[in-house]
Amino acid sequence: MGPRWKGKNSEAIALADPMSKITARLQSSLIQSETEGFLSGCVVLLSVEPEQIDLLNRACFGRPIITTDKDKQWFQISLEEAFYLCHSLKCLKILDENKCAKNGNELWECMKSKKKTFPEFYVAYSNLKKKNWVVRSGSQYGVDFVAYRHHPSLVHSEYAVLVRSECDGDYDKNFRLRVWSDFQCTVRLCGSVAKTLLVLNINTNGCNEVSLSHLDHCSVEERTITRWSPEQCREDLTLVKGGISYI
Amino acid sequence: MEVEAWESSSDGTADSEVDLQDIEDDEHLCMSGSIPKLQFRKDVSKARWDVEMGMAEVIEKKGGMWTTTGIVRRSKVYCSIEETLFLAERGALILFDINDMVLSLKDMYEMVAEGRSGCSWDSFEAYRHLKSLGYIIGRHGVNWSVKNDKICSSSTCIGGTEESSRISSTEMKEDFSITNHLGDMQINEKPAFDVYLPNSKFRKSSPGEPNFMVYLTRDNPPSKAEIESLERSCKGVPLKFCHVEHGRGYKNLHPVRTMRSPPRRLRHPGLTDRS
Repeated sequence: MGPRWKGKNSEAIALADPMSKITARLQSSLIQSETEGFLSGCVVLLSVEPEQIDLLNRACFGRPIITTDKDKQWFQISLEEAFYLCHSLKCLKILDENKCAKNGNELWECMKSKKKTFPEFYVAYSNLKKKNWVVRSGSQYGVDFVAYRHHPSLVHSEYAVLVRSECDGDYDKNFRLRVWSDFQCTVRLCGSVAKTLLVLNINTNGCNEVSLSHLDHCSVEERTITRWSPEQCREDLTLVKGGISYI
Repeated sequence: MEVEAWESSSDGTADSEVDLQDIEDDEHLCMSGSIPKLQFRKDVSKARWDVEMGMAEVIEKKGGMWTTTGIVRRSKVYCSIEETLFLAERGALILFDINDMVLSLKDMYEMVAEGRSGCSWDSFEAYRHLKSLGYIIGRHGVNWSVKNDKICSSSTCIGGTEESSRISSTEMKEDFSITNHLGDMQINEKPAFDVYLPNSKFRKSSPGEPNFMVYLTRDNPPSKAEIESLERSCKGVPLKFCHVEHGRGYKNLHPVRTMRSPPRRLRHPGLTDRS
């Protein structure tokens, strides 16, 4: 299944303005204005300059909070987005409840305490972000993330993403795809909304858990899962590379 | 597995049969252009934040929302942080501190982040979503008004003022302890809100039974035992579980996921459709 662009010129618009460049512009703008955000529950709140409103929208980070305030625009971003901006792009400072800037390890532990699946989700999220996918919540489709080739106003999301971790034996905090009924349910739903199910397996390669100091040791195995229908594939010899098909 | 698949694929509902025209449920985010701003209000109320109480005392009421916002104690109206912030975001309330300095939205967002006023960001989002749809929402277990209030504070109450202020401050403390309690527990053992359907005849003096209660879940859905124990504490009022999801686009924001309570307890079946 290829990308499904919205409208005639969308592909050309996307090609002319690649996501990598938009993200780089956002990064340098946030660095220049020394942007700070603060943690509130499971989100990070930040107020930004007018030019950054546009860049955050274009790069598709977080969502704006709609108020009557004319001077400031507030955004709320997810823990994964916040950690990515802070740790990977190094363009956002994050303050704790006492207005102190948190260093990488403190922030990692703090986010982990707020969301148990944060380490694995972050590895999955940053893996896709580094490849310039736009990554948003998958809650509408019962998955962890959805991945867009470019901005959601130009293209439908192509992948419904589930995060699985195999660390520490067979323990997986996300409890997904353990039984066939869950496979059937997820693949059926993804099919009906024209998305491919992408499972990201997070391998810690010997470590007990995903930790910030060992992020580089983690590897991400990508697999697409599709249903193979014998009736319709009698002349089709192509099998998706890296994919798993089930009958 | 194989047999099942052969059968299911012969019914003609293969996965590839997708009507792409129908799929309009992707996020509708704008790539450029400005973010919609809420309209400024003509009627702006004023309130003063009381740090110790963790509530705002309303000092000037403007507009119709006060029939369904704030609790009444000794003829004064007090707002929780979620009520205060909701109105402030809409430009309908200016909040002052004890020295009459204006508190900004940033100050209020930080107050929520600090978590001392019994409201987390999740519960604020749940409140905002329902409130903006017209539902009438109060903190669970906090009375909208207190009956003896009016009698005691009225001039006919003999020897009254001092006595009544003592009573009401004790009574108010009980209210704080409920809210503080909620804050400490991360709203995990009790419902967060009592909710009434939009109703123009709502009166704080006789609110009646809430139409449902909202319980905020954290990481995982509640267990069977948790559901049962919560249902017992709700005494027959329908219970809805709210899972606040972050990171959705603002136009398709549906932070409230509801789970049906067993039908026999459901007094307003129509409600379950709203998620």
